[in-house]
Amino acid sequence: MSEKLHIAQNLEDALLFRKENDCIVMAGSSDLMVSAYQGYGALPKFDKPVLLIRNLEELIGVRRNSDGTVEIGACTTSRQIVESPDTPWVLKQAAGRMGAVALRNSATIGGNIANASPKGDTPGPLYLLDAVVNVMSLDGGRRSIPIRDFIIKFRTIDLKNDEIITSVTIPVSDKDMTYWFYHKIGTRAANAISKLTLCACAKVSWGEVKDFRIAATASGPVTNRSRDVENIAIGLKFDELAAKASEISGAFDKVISPRAMPEFRREATRRMIEFFIDKVSKNSYKKFYN
Amino acid sequence: MADMRNDKARKDAISKASGRETYVGDLSLDGMIYACLVRTSVPRGIIKSITLPPLPDGYYYFDDRNIPENGRNELWMIQKDWKCFAAGSSGYVGETIGILCGPDRTLLYSLRDQIKVEYEEQTPAVSIEDSLALVGGPIIGENNYHCTVELQAGDGDIDEIMKNAYRVVEEKFSTGHQEHMHLETNGMMVNYEDGKYVYYASCQCPFYIRKSVAGIIGATPEDIIVRQMSTGGAFGGKEHFPDVVAGPLILAEYYLKKPIKLIFNREEDTQFSVKRHPSVVKFKTALDRKGNILAMDSIVYYNAGRYLASSYIVIQRGCMHIEGVYKFPVARTRGYSMATNTFPSCAFRGFGAPQTIFAVETHMTHIAEKLGVDPVEYKRRYLIKQGDTTITNGKIVENVRTPELIEKVCKASDYFEKSRKYGFGSGKGIGFSLYNHGGAFTGNGESAIIKAVVKVCKRKDGTVLIKAGQTEMGQGFSSAVCRIAAKTLGIPYEKVIYKYPDTSVVPDSGPTAASRSTMVPGNLVMKACEELKARWDEADELECEAHYEHPEGYPWDQASFQGYAYLGYGWGACVVEVEVDPRTAETKIKGIWSAHDVGNCIDPLIVHGQVNGGIAQGIGWASTELLENKGGYFKQHSMSDYIIPTSMDLPAQEVYYANEPYKWGPYGAKGMGELVFNGSGAAYVDALSRAINRKIDSIPNPTEVIMGHILHSEKLTEDKR
Repeated sequence: MSEKLHIAQNLEDALLFRKENDCIVMAGSSDLMVSAYQGYGALPKFDKPVLLIRNLEELIGVRRNSDGTVEIGACTTSRQIVESPDTPWVLKQAAGRMGAVALRNSATIGGNIANASPKGDTPGPLYLLDAVVNVMSLDGGRRSIPIRDFIIKFRTIDLKNDEIITSVTIPVSDKDMTYWFYHKIGTRAANAISKLTLCACAKVSWGEVKDFRIAATASGPVTNRSRDVENIAIGLKFDELAAKASEISGAFDKVISPRAMPEFRREATRRMIEFFIDKVSKNSYKKFYN
Repeated sequence: MADMRNDKARKDAISKASGRETYVGDLSLDGMIYACLVRTSVPRGIIKSITLPPLPDGYYYFDDRNIPENGRNELWMIQKDWKCFAAGSSGYVGETIGILCGPDRTLLYSLRDQIKVEYEEQTPAVSIEDSLALVGGPIIGENNYHCTVELQAGDGDIDEIMKNAYRVVEEKFSTGHQEHMHLETNGMMVNYEDGKYVYYASCQCPFYIRKSVAGIIGATPEDIIVRQMSTGGAFGGKEHFPDVVAGPLILAEYYLKKPIKLIFNREEDTQFSVKRHPSVVKFKTALDRKGNILAMDSIVYYNAGRYLASSYIVIQRGCMHIEGVYKFPVARTRGYSMATNTFPSCAFRGFGAPQTIFAVETHMTHIAEKLGVDPVEYKRRYLIKQGDTTITNGKIVENVRTPELIEKVCKASDYFEKSRKYGFGSGKGIGFSLYNHGGAFTGNGESAIIKAVVKVCKRKDGTVLIKAGQTEMGQGFSSAVCRIAAKTLGIPYEKVIYKYPDTSVVPDSGPTAASRSTMVPGNLVMKACEELKARWDEADELECEAHYEHPEGYPWDQASFQGYAYLGYGWGACVVEVEVDPRTAETKIKGIWSAHDVGNCIDPLIVHGQVNGGIAQGIGWASTELLENKGGYFKQHSMSDYIIPTSMDLPAQEVYYANEPYKWGPYGAKGMGELVFNGSGAAYVDALSRAINRKIDSIPNPTEVIMGHILHSEKLTEDKR
């Protein structure tokens, strides 16, 4: 073990340290410092050296690529995500409701993904948007993994010991869908952890449902999405959707597996899905729903 | 009526807002070391062995085995049943086994985590129901009763009345644990100075600590000095609990004679400190054909935890408030303080009154709704008034202005219109509650137990120093008492000085608790200042003191709990309006209106702050503050999972007064710090019940519980009004 804390000077420096040390990568520190807390007046405890990457300019910012996708650097804070005009609405909703102001100023999207917490705020929208996680290792090694594969299971991600998450790519923009829905049931209005979050979107074109997606967070060990459930809606005329509402919400109920508060989480999920379907089936003017 | 000007800042405003205020956590003395407590990890069991890791130089461990021969392993609160150290058995998770001291906290905590304790586990009784069923065998006595109370008022055999009544309404209500969640956690430092044990403590009652811990090392209270440090909130959580922290510290200090500091982190403070008593209250109320109440019978159970602490008085207060603000022809209550294997319950703003007030208010509301009468109209029929007999067979001494309070909140909130319009199950609801709180110690407690003394000192520089044991913990006493003195003496507020009490300097004016500080010691300050004013020119330096005298003609018998329990009550009315999202059961509070009789506001801004905070805390208790105890273990452990409401969860409150000056209080003031907590929970639950048209008989009600009510609970009414 060469040092306990390494503050990376640039991405290459970070990747080099990462390659040479079995270490913990820290960005905003809002979760890691809490889990390493040892008590009043004591030093935090990490069982591996810590690599701090939060100031790496290369990993900060939201930008629109030439192919229309949006790329968000791993060390971009929730506040920066909220403030960018290129951030999709549904992700902005999630980032803007994360914790309290101080936390949103430090917590990063890379950290939120890497934690793979079932209650994380950004994974829900990222699953919904089919986001891809980009990782890098020294000497130009790169991989791009869909988020639903990158988060393997509760608190477990597909990241090798020499890799760092560099960014996340989002292929879907607000205009690609006709309707968007996001609702976080927090423990209270401010500084709230999610009890349940549901996001959804639908594309209706020439009266037909062309795409339909639902993602639920805090209702299982990882964010839940099911293409099989979504396929029940896809291809229907929008006015046929209402009749299928309970079938869809019933099928989605089989996908989720909430451990605590199961009745509440199942019931509220069902009611929110049916609310969204009701809006879509009425072909409303309004695009965004909370 | 006194007109107290409010153009001067609180005494502590600048130092607190600027961050210059010194808390115990900020103290640092040469040679200071740190301490942490070693605690039990099973709710009930025999401690078979304690194995310590090798302790490096400068690290020390002490427990009951180190208590000197003339010392005793007991904390003296009301009784001496709470052991300072577990000494062979665990009665709850977090009971103190020993204390570990040393210079480096990182190492200290790591050593603590290496201590191995072996148990022979026993089956714990955790809930009131467990305790009544004697799960795991009795914890104390034969029936797990720490203590009992029985009170009855009115003529007639209550069992006969029940038998002959047209209708008897039976209901059961329950409330859960509540954590104080004061901003500053518990903490103190002890040091040996000039032959005395000196504490620097975050606490409400410095004199309690002296009395409680002296016996551990065979010392006397006079061998101990307690200096209160700036205290960042308490709410009752620092009334007796600091004794539990101070006890192990004095044993360590007995051997080490150097500054030792012990500060709880938030997790410790949440899991291993006293809580509000969970309750079960059962009513049987007899009605005649027209729906008039003939008699109300009740049984009150409080979960007191393993040790008595202050539960003896908490259950009394609960039973004395069982009639709420009402007078029924016949009333009887029987109270039981139940022993369980949970952390002992103790003082918390309201001190037993909020539980019974929530129960009686909700019960009255339900009866009214059964009868098809608006609850406000129904409750109005039973308001207690001056000269009426209370459940302790004393009389209400003062003019009771509840009709005006009702008028004010109902008008301001447009209650009757909204009550009619929202009806039941519309997603919108408005709720109402009435409540009171008896000020100061019960009965003759002020004269028989406390015997408060205060001093005021004129000093050479023309300033006047207040000497009282009363603590400032954010509630505003330091400013209020200086206003009283300044007004009485006719000198500027800036010339009056209050200092955090030091038991070697100030007389014992009793605990800062029971909504008594302004009402009783504040009044003594006024009296002492009257004397000082009359003698002002006698000398450059002059000290006057005042002793508490109980007004004559209001007898109290402590053995039978009969007589005048309280001479001055605070009174309140509260209306809460909510909106429930039918999709998710999320609840938004749309409005809060309250009206109180606090006698007179010594400092209107501070009173306003108390109203805002007390009502918010009461709503937190009734709504989001879920503290589960599973098998003896509290499940929530921090501010992120124990959910107190924030200002973003609450609308701006509208606050009104109808003050009836209190004859024996300073400039008419009476107690109000607890009053403002007592009723908002019932108003919130009433509003919520109506919004979803479901009967709610328990507290708390976080979102998932509300969804449970929507899915399973009985409807309040079948027809939508």
